[in-house]
Amino acid sequence: MPYRTESDVRLFGRHDAHEAPHPLRQIKLFSTLSRREMPVVQALRHERSYLAGEVVFDEGDDGEAIYAIVSGEVEILRHDGGRQQRLAVLAAGEVFGELALLDQAPRAAQARATADCVLVVFFRADFMNLLETHPKIASKIALSLARHLGSRLRQANAGQRQDGHL
Amino acid sequence: MRRLRPSGAGPLAWCGILLATTLALYLFQQVLWLVLPFLFGLIAYYFLAYPMQRLMFAGLSQESAANITVGVFALLLVGAFAFMLPRFAAQAVGVQETGMRYLQGGLLLLDQTLRALEQQSRFMRDAHVADAVSSYIAVAGEGFAQNRLPSLMMSVAAWLPSMLLAPFLAYFFLRDGRRFQRFLARAVPNAYFERTLHLLYEVDRTTRAYFQGLVKLTVLDAVCLAAGLWVIGLSSPLTLGIITAVLAWIPFVGSVIGCALVVMVAATDFPGSPSIAYASIGLFILVRLLDDFIFMPLTIGRSLRMHPLITVLMIFVGGAVAGVAGLLLVLPVLGVIMVVGETLSIVASDPRLRARHAHARRLRWQAVTRDL
Repeated sequence: MPYRTESDVRLFGRHDAHEAPHPLRQIKLFSTLSRREMPVVQALRHERSYLAGEVVFDEGDDGEAIYAIVSGEVEILRHDGGRQQRLAVLAAGEVFGELALLDQAPRAAQARATADCVLVVFFRADFMNLLETHPKIASKIALSLARHLGSRLRQANAGQRQDGHL
Repeated sequence: MRRLRPSGAGPLAWCGILLATTLALYLFQQVLWLVLPFLFGLIAYYFLAYPMQRLMFAGLSQESAANITVGVFALLLVGAFAFMLPRFAAQAVGVQETGMRYLQGGLLLLDQTLRALEQQSRFMRDAHVADAVSSYIAVAGEGFAQNRLPSLMMSVAAWLPSMLLAPFLAYFFLRDGRRFQRFLARAVPNAYFERTLHLLYEVDRTTRAYFQGLVKLTVLDAVCLAAGLWVIGLSSPLTLGIITAVLAWIPFVGSVIGCALVVMVAATDFPGSPSIAYASIGLFILVRLLDDFIFMPLTIGRSLRMHPLITVLMIFVGGAVAGVAGLLLVLPVLGVIMVVGETLSIVASDPRLRARHAHARRLRWQAVTRDL
């Protein structure tokens, strides 16, 4: 069948050279997914490259997506009056903007790349759709997210981190 | 950091949305041979999206689910075609005769009604309304048969091959829709990415809701009309119900044609009792009222979230610009352009997003010129 040839599917087909799959397993949120479940989540991701100093999202933006760091570093900043306060520096494997997966509240802090980085992005609409089509995968992600938020809350209570409201 | 919030789509943006819809309808009319298969492909896509999701829910990949869904759908279509073809071929010779019989029945009812009115009204009797209408219909019918019908038949025959595109398009929408979305997303700069992707999801949600609403509305209309016609006692109530429900996709004109069709059948099946034809008209008006006030708000109306005034105005504009095709296309086109226009105006008028994009471009320029 002619469609199967490599050149024919280059436009947005399966030989998607620009989006070579990064191992999502290194991202904590997806570490519990099985080998069979991973391609389902891979199909939902968007991949973006940011340069050091580039803003990923701003405080007050409508949160529509969760970000996971494949490589590089991202800092979380909050503007308190005229003062900029660094809440955390996140490295590869960590996620931020996670509350956007749960509600449509505005972003509570700014995220900015501190080094050139590659991020994978998942939209809330896709996650909601995943709840319908693959509830087992969605519940695994939701459980990981709940654990992640719990740990953030404990850290915030202990005064170690203050980025519990992204 | 001072954040200036965008105020949303203003009157200028709305003028642009309405203008873009009118322009799109005009352009679509020029390439109707492509637009109609695309439209039917979209309807099939949204109709088949649910069974495909059920298969994905059972653990199949998107590609396998699309293959199975479209395969089964194609088999059903071929089966239905094979079942209907011998029956249609057997009746093909009599189709023209039957059509003429129903037309004559309808005209007879019209003539009888007008003559009955003439007996009641001296003004109508003096004006010879029944004779005038009869001669006008005879001349118009002859002119239509001689001048318009051959060209109409030829254009329909020319379109038929392009309609084969519809299932083909539906298959690729099902299989590669998400890849295409990601392909489009790659072209969007980082600063606008999240907001613009939200736009793509909104467009998808709007069109999905519209077409799924349209299918639900058609089923509700067909069931109500078929039940009503069956109670009245007309022949082939289900076929008539389905045909008139599909004709109702064309605002105003489709309903009038559907009603005329039902009345013609009623007048021919029961030539001596015009009350059956009047009951059919009553049923049609009742279903229209149900449609406009209950079914439509529950199905399509909810999906587009449009002001009724704009909807009605744009239906008239669509009809004026692109005729019957404009009437058929105006609501889905307006729904999509409305979401795109509103979001683009919000994104373009957000100074913070523009500043972030300019900052990112500066950073990229510095990165590529660092060692020059």
